[in-house]
Amino acid sequence: MRVAIQSSPMTLDANTSSTPADYWDMVRLLSLVGDNLVGIDAEGRPQPALANAWQEDSTARHWQFTLRHGVNFHDGTPASASAIALILGPLHPDWNVRATSAAADSLTIDTEASAPTLLAELALPRNLILAHNAAGLPIGTSPFRIADYQPGKLLKLAAVEDSWSGRPFLDAIEIEFGKSLRDQAVALELGRADVIATAPRSANASPRMRTSSSMSLPVELMALVFAPNSKAQDVRLRQALALSIDRKPIQSVLLKGAAEPTASILPNWMTGYSAAFSAQANVQRAKALLADSRPPALTLSYDPRDPQAQLIAERIALNAREAGITVQVSLSGPDDIRLVRIPLPTPDPALALREAARQLSLSPPVLHGKSVEDLFQAEHGLLEDSSVIPLFHLPVASAASPRVHGWAPDRLGGWNLADVWLENSR
Amino acid sequence: MKTDAHIARYNQRNRQMESRSETVLRLGLFVSFLLASLFFPSLLVASNFGDTARQLADRIAVASGPGTVELEVTNRSSLDDKSVREVRSALQSQLRVRGVSAAAADQSVGTVAVVLSESLREYVWTAEITIGSDAPRVVLVSLPRALPTTLLTSALPITLKKTFLFSQEQPILDAALVDTSGGAISAGTHLLVLDPTRIAVYRQQSGHWELEASLATQHARNFPRDVRGRLLLRRDHLFDAYLPGTICRSSNTSPLTLNCVASDDPWPLTPTEKDENGLSPVRAFYAPARNFFTGALSPGIGKISTVPSFYSAAALPRSSYTLWVLAAADGTIHMIDGITDQAVRGARWGSDQAAVHSTCGTGMQLLVTGGGDMNRDTYRDNDDRENNRDTLRAFEIPDRDPIAASSLLEFDGPIAALWPDASLTSAVAIVKHADTGWYEANRISITCAN
Repeated sequence: MRVAIQSSPMTLDANTSSTPADYWDMVRLLSLVGDNLVGIDAEGRPQPALANAWQEDSTARHWQFTLRHGVNFHDGTPASASAIALILGPLHPDWNVRATSAAADSLTIDTEASAPTLLAELALPRNLILAHNAAGLPIGTSPFRIADYQPGKLLKLAAVEDSWSGRPFLDAIEIEFGKSLRDQAVALELGRADVIATAPRSANASPRMRTSSSMSLPVELMALVFAPNSKAQDVRLRQALALSIDRKPIQSVLLKGAAEPTASILPNWMTGYSAAFSAQANVQRAKALLADSRPPALTLSYDPRDPQAQLIAERIALNAREAGITVQVSLSGPDDIRLVRIPLPTPDPALALREAARQLSLSPPVLHGKSVEDLFQAEHGLLEDSSVIPLFHLPVASAASPRVHGWAPDRLGGWNLADVWLENSR
Repeated sequence: MKTDAHIARYNQRNRQMESRSETVLRLGLFVSFLLASLFFPSLLVASNFGDTARQLADRIAVASGPGTVELEVTNRSSLDDKSVREVRSALQSQLRVRGVSAAAADQSVGTVAVVLSESLREYVWTAEITIGSDAPRVVLVSLPRALPTTLLTSALPITLKKTFLFSQEQPILDAALVDTSGGAISAGTHLLVLDPTRIAVYRQQSGHWELEASLATQHARNFPRDVRGRLLLRRDHLFDAYLPGTICRSSNTSPLTLNCVASDDPWPLTPTEKDENGLSPVRAFYAPARNFFTGALSPGIGKISTVPSFYSAAALPRSSYTLWVLAAADGTIHMIDGITDQAVRGARWGSDQAAVHSTCGTGMQLLVTGGGDMNRDTYRDNDDRENNRDTLRAFEIPDRDPIAASSLLEFDGPIAALWPDASLTSAVAIVKHADTGWYEANRISITCAN
């Protein structure tokens, strides 16, 4: 199978991604090689992976995991509790990760603070259980092992015959790096690629003939983030800017109808309450907020690697002008506002909120319980001073050629290539 | 007899597990919501929704205080209009009890904007309360979402009847009923359920299955990704279970125990211990790291001891020979009479089939899973290849040409396994429900339409 991706990773490391596209590419690559201790489904329910049972104490500080028997790393060494502790421990200096006893199948994690989202955290791509060989390449327990890696160019994976989750149907996967979305689409059309990433588009858009496309739930957030030293220190100015933005035209034209306008950090499929954060533009209210002030001119920057970002930024500047706020779109000099796009790496809403806050440089959310109302209050607290203006939730999309069978990407954007097979291999 | 050459192809079986297209995914969700709306909401309004409306009214009343408000209810969830009206009505009456009455905007001191929404897990109802010039306040409540129900199906000349037996989240490989009285499930009937880790023994008690024993299936080597398994009832002990590279045998005394050994011995292709001539049934070697039979037979079918690798086989007895129908791993159907092997291409059948006795037609029908009936090429052209349903149809094969004998019996997900039962009068179809992801065991029997 031939796969084309946009990014050109020089190292295979989940923590080196700089853009959401890089992030999804790396997650998809590494998930082919490694497994997590536990998984998580779209509804946030933990699923067995390398651990097939676990229990926590009443404080959620002491966790014990029972590991699956007979799992080996690709180099043949057992994926024992001590081996996994050696991988997870350094990733989390604030956790005490250790093999519970002489038994190879029991792992303990102790945390200083209560960790009710620990299972979801263990399911994050950055917590894949990956050892490394002498060349620094990851060695995992998944159905594919790395057969060849040419940094920035190519990755070849080979099927693992005795994988604990069953031998994959494919014999090998060849992943070509550095292909733009346009090049990927052309490669798919010409039969030079079997699976590619695509730009999300509305369900009403005419589908590309003979290919099978797939779109995830919205798993990215696009937002405006005010810099700490922004000239927009007045909360009313930030609120006025938020009220001035008409998200609908941006969604339907620039984002091809695929995005969901939002004023919340977490998407509605995760929380169900996003309607409580109004995303309606209200220029009159925006003007009223600024009635007694002369707002300073603001500079808005964007990620030049994001093909839609510039047009969206310019549209926001136009909206702002209607409310009496001068916003200049620029990539040079210090910025007051940044247009950012971040991945929401987990379907667990509490953890997703924490991860989003970290990526948006906000204070960690304060959660007093596990209920939806607790979550709402925590998110409301993060957005109260309008230092972040959520704009859209976006899905990620991919496509497969007609000869790919069993293609069923998960709702979170994962590819599940171990269950795929190719028609002409029959 | 197994060689690498026999294990050259390794794919998902042909059971409509094709790619998930966005359109069908949305359509599937819509149908699920529609079904949920059709069958559940009114019932739920009477119970859970009523409680939830009361909770929301409590919180609104605390935030607003007593008085008259304009109440707006907006539905952004999968609830149908009738349910929404009932929720609104329940909310109004609960608010009234708490001193908050609904009225037109010009007679109100404020507004309460309720949004009925949902996440993947829960219904979430929010209320934004704005009283006078105060800043709006938001309160919310939630309750778990219900699962959608399934569609019923009908059939024509021969009628296929589907009887739900059991469901669980873990994959079911096979299921077998024991101690049925005349085929009916009654108190005391036992159900064996084979999954990749265990064989569970259930006993029918007061209308539901109670777990009586759980026997772990020990196996030395990892099972393949598309693991398959077979339960066969026996006379001198309760059952044998065949799993890839492993054969398990139950004890013949109580308490029931299970002994599993690593074995590449061939699997019986028919559930009976002797064929109609008193001979041992045809057995086939199963590729322990794959999802198909290698094609090596022992004993063979007449003079034929090697056939193409195949997913399933069914025996149709004739007066002087037995016709075997094989679903080969390359997508072809083979008809083997002991002397000749006739390949049928383009039959568009799925990979599972089972022969079942009946009192209709020729007395023996072949049940075949979908795979071609849904015209996969059409789906492909429409970027719409994923079909969340699968089908089963009965065929008669008077000579070598299959004739459809029933209409399609539809399932809300792909059929993961289809095996004939010990009496050969019905089959067990294991279906992976497309919406819930749970596995369902169904008994498939045949009744004559007229």
